[in-house]
Amino acid sequence: MYDIKPLEEEWKKYKKKKRKPWFVLIFSIFFILLISFTFLNYEEIDFLKFNDQNKVSVVANQAKTVLIDKPLVTLETKKPKVNAVSQKTETKPMIVISENDSMEIVEDLPIAENDKAIKETSVKIKTVETVEKPRKKMHLNIIESTSVSAYKDVERRFKQSHDADDSLFLAKNYYDKKNYKKAEYWALQTNKVNGNIEESWLIFVKSKVKLGRKNEAIHILTNYIKKSNSAAAKNLLNKIKEGTL
Amino acid sequence: MKSRYEAAKNVFIDSIDIDDYIELESSVTAYKQLKHSMDKPLKMILLFGRPGTGKSILLNRIHEKLKHQKEIHYFDTPPINEKEFFHKLFKVLTKQDLPNNTEVNFSALVDFCKNLRGKREIIILLDEAQMYGPEMMEKIRLLSDSRSVKFVVSLHKTDDEDLIAKEHFQSRIWEVIELKNATKEDQTTYIHKKLLKKNLFEIANSIKDKNMKYIHTYTKGNYRECNKLLFTIFEICEYYDTNEPSKINYEQMPQRIIEMAALKLGYIHV
Repeated sequence: MYDIKPLEEEWKKYKKKKRKPWFVLIFSIFFILLISFTFLNYEEIDFLKFNDQNKVSVVANQAKTVLIDKPLVTLETKKPKVNAVSQKTETKPMIVISENDSMEIVEDLPIAENDKAIKETSVKIKTVETVEKPRKKMHLNIIESTSVSAYKDVERRFKQSHDADDSLFLAKNYYDKKNYKKAEYWALQTNKVNGNIEESWLIFVKSKVKLGRKNEAIHILTNYIKKSNSAAAKNLLNKIKEGTL
Repeated sequence: MKSRYEAAKNVFIDSIDIDDYIELESSVTAYKQLKHSMDKPLKMILLFGRPGTGKSILLNRIHEKLKHQKEIHYFDTPPINEKEFFHKLFKVLTKQDLPNNTEVNFSALVDFCKNLRGKREIIILLDEAQMYGPEMMEKIRLLSDSRSVKFVVSLHKTDDEDLIAKEHFQSRIWEVIELKNATKEDQTTYIHKKLLKKNLFEIANSIKDKNMKYIHTYTKGNYRECNKLLFTIFEICEYYDTNEPSKINYEQMPQRIIEMAALKLGYIHV
């Protein structure tokens, strides 16, 4: 046996070749697992975070505690995402909410229910007055963002949690962006959840004025002033009447 | 000092030596079947199978066993030409050498055979019969028609040159015995028995069932291939035993060595 060394080399090559499919298979499985794990993990974490936030806000709502820092909490958790987008869009907004977007929601908006909602809210105002609950002070850390996904996230979250802070956030932002239909819709949603938020009433009324429904706005605002005797509301009523809004 | 593997290697030198014959279940069956067929009043018996399935050693063994009981003759390799074949046949039939510068008259030989009918029963074992031409086979057939000479024809089972397919041959063969490649169990017994016959117990025990599985896969149960593979395996073992003992496990045959031998013989490729 003189050719043992070449034979050993040949055997090593053979072994290498034989193991190759296994390595490929193991690597593929590992790669697939890694990909799926990363993907699932991200989705799961995102979902869990979302759920946790909902829990916090729902519990807070039930307890009727003062929601001072909660909006900060809920918004801060979303901060990295929104910030990342806002940083990018500071110089040049990447996505602008189009009219079409607002139309979609307005279609869902129950116009016929508007009056009903107003009635409901006026009833709520009455109860508020009799109980004489301290009015909540809202401190919202509103982050400027043009990201549609950021609004969508908040909208989705609201649908699950019915947190007035979320709907108010949306109403204010849409109003600032002159998307009055959406602002009106979200202000109404806020009033449905909590009829004692003055800011929400004012946005609701201002949106109606901007949408050309001045008389309706005056009627609602007058009712609100009767119940709340709010100086800001009176001031707004004057502005509407003068047409300086 | 001689390596322990040298003796093992020599066990697997391919031969048809009757001393190397290993009784296996399948070979015993084939032997009995052939012997039974030879007892029947048949003119021709065909023994066929792929090369290395043990046809030659079976003919050899039957010749050895029956040569004292019957008039049996073993033609191991086919003669170069027809003339030489009939010389050989003449000697077997007449028990005399053919005088110099004379040729066998075939028709006279057939007549001679016919005269022997009922007096003698001669069995002729023709190994490697695929090498006989069709003309010669036809003459063999005519001789067998005399009923005093019985031929056992052993030939390879090949795809392109299948003599059984030939009509003239097919109609005259009365009994066919096919030898097949060994099963894994038979091959294991074969290897163990071969080694134990030479008192190589330790080496026989070092070849485990897993090794046998690979050996059977590589050789497809063919005895000749098995001999070749084991010869090469023990040749490699012998080298390691003498030069690099650290590379060999005496308790269990390393799979690496079996694969190396298979690579060397071309059963597997890089």
